[in-house]
Amino acid sequence: MSNVALELTNVRKKIKNKEIIKDVNLTVRQGEVYGFIGPNGAGKTTTIRMIVGLMDMTEGEIKVLGKSIEKEYKDAARNLGAIVENPEMYPFMTGRQNLRHFARMYEDVPKGRVEEVVSLVGLDQAIDEKVSKYSLGMRQRLGIAQAILHKPAVLILDEPTNGLDPAGIREIRDYIRRLAVEDNVAVMISSHLLSEIELMCDRIGIIKHGELITEQSVKEVSEETEETEIKVILDVKEIEAAIDVLSSLELQGEKEGSQLVSLMPRESIPQVVNKLVEAGLTVYGITGVKPSLEDQFLELTGGNIIE
Amino acid sequence: MSNFFSLLYNELFKIYIRKSTWVMYIILGLIAIGGAIIMSSIDDVQPTNYTDNWQEELQEENETLQKDNEEFGYSFNDEQIMKNEYLLENDIRPLNYGAWQYTLENVGLVAIVSLLTIIIGSSIISNEYQWGTIKLLLIRPISRNVILLSKFMAIFVFALLTMIFLFLVSMLGGAIFFGFEGFNPSTVIMTGDGFEYVPIVGEVMSEYGYRIVNLIMMTTLAFMISTIFKNSSIAIGVGIFLLMGGSIITGIFSQYDWSKYLLFANLDLKMYETGNVLIEGMTLGFSITMLIVYFVVFVALAWIFFNKRDIVNQ
Repeated sequence: MSNVALELTNVRKKIKNKEIIKDVNLTVRQGEVYGFIGPNGAGKTTTIRMIVGLMDMTEGEIKVLGKSIEKEYKDAARNLGAIVENPEMYPFMTGRQNLRHFARMYEDVPKGRVEEVVSLVGLDQAIDEKVSKYSLGMRQRLGIAQAILHKPAVLILDEPTNGLDPAGIREIRDYIRRLAVEDNVAVMISSHLLSEIELMCDRIGIIKHGELITEQSVKEVSEETEETEIKVILDVKEIEAAIDVLSSLELQGEKEGSQLVSLMPRESIPQVVNKLVEAGLTVYGITGVKPSLEDQFLELTGGNIIE
Repeated sequence: MSNFFSLLYNELFKIYIRKSTWVMYIILGLIAIGGAIIMSSIDDVQPTNYTDNWQEELQEENETLQKDNEEFGYSFNDEQIMKNEYLLENDIRPLNYGAWQYTLENVGLVAIVSLLTIIIGSSIISNEYQWGTIKLLLIRPISRNVILLSKFMAIFVFALLTMIFLFLVSMLGGAIFFGFEGFNPSTVIMTGDGFEYVPIVGEVMSEYGYRIVNLIMMTTLAFMISTIFKNSSIAIGVGIFLLMGGSIITGIFSQYDWSKYLLFANLDLKMYETGNVLIEGMTLGFSITMLIVYFVVFVALAWIFFNKRDIVNQ
């Protein structure tokens, strides 16, 4: 196991007696991409603001490479790169001027680094145009560029896929994976859309009402699904009769349009097929649907929290 | 420390890259030159050019001025008459009007420099909130104090550069329309103890210098307000209102002894030179102490609010 890069211990945040973040504990290791999922208003951005030092925490501790963001702010901030919410830049300056501006705020960003970062995020064409003319996707790239200027050990990206088209999301995904694998960067990505970042994360934490309700590694989740119940779609002509067949096997079915949907362990499928055929029903097809992470988390969190 | 200069450079870059700043400079430049254009194109206000017969010319001028006084039944020309008499008595050849004197008269335009500085100072923090860039600024390995200081310093570098701009444009305009009096000309000015023959350069410096006090205090006040309220309109409004109305406020309360503790009562340090002290018992030391106290309070409030605040969305 590699070293812990970002560590949150018993973090709480109260604003006007309202507890917004309730005892959050989480760690992100070097080279790991951590997905931080929650609906809008669950406390994602508040947590991120505390990590980067924009907000004070009421209780607890946040450490970046072992340095406390409160007590050793400069040492901690030196190793942090972030986009917080929208990647807002100075609209009246060009992309390059913006990056130079932020590069000047570090003591150790070498001269050619701006150009290096620009080609990394693929903004070479537009870098000398004013940011006010940029599309949201271009701003996201510029936002990532400013976050990695100083080669941080921990990269925090708040909703980095917002406003990107699928091709753009794919590009960012590849890029983030590369950062984690090649440069050993610990990346924390927040999103309210699990499906968008599912593919780039090693581990996922879900926050709801300011509480980290579950944390799981992405691989773990998919392995588990092999044994647990999966969703099966039965395309049968006589739906009512099919429901009776299912109940004889102590299974439940639900009509969804012209199809029947049921949850069952994978091993029960052959048995169901047999029974349906025995009953003389017209079966057009049976499909087992592997639940997406999103479905699973919907289940885990007990409600439609993912907006 | 080189880091601090990078921050200062960043702040100045953000001020001077915007077109609105250059519009300000163009307006200031036009006003600074405009006076010269008007003066040189209207006969009545054109300055007299004295020749070698200046003694006769001065006497003639005084007779005309005296007549005017009698005609209007009001002695508004007295100061000029006395000044001319002083020149004659002391055998000082009057200095022909030129760039230095025009620049000295333009000292009133420092109010416009103050105005522009208040606008810049009021928006230097609140703009970052408005643009959303405050988040990107405050996640760097630089303490908030240093960021605040770099912004505060940038405002005064702006003021200094604008002041130099005003001075140069006034000199240039004066030189083009009226001529140049030389590098170190002297002139007669009125002080608390009558007339004095002094080098004009020193006079220009001290006149501009006195007005800088007002500029610094009002800008610091506006900077504090905008840091607390994150809103430039309030700060600009209050700053300009007090810049313009400060003397009126002092006037209203000047009958009370406590009014000497008001900021505005202490802004004009020139009163100690001319002797027209606003409220009896005030001294230069007292005013400077009061100014320092106000300055420290303003800066401390801005500092406390900027440091303590959670940065959230507007």
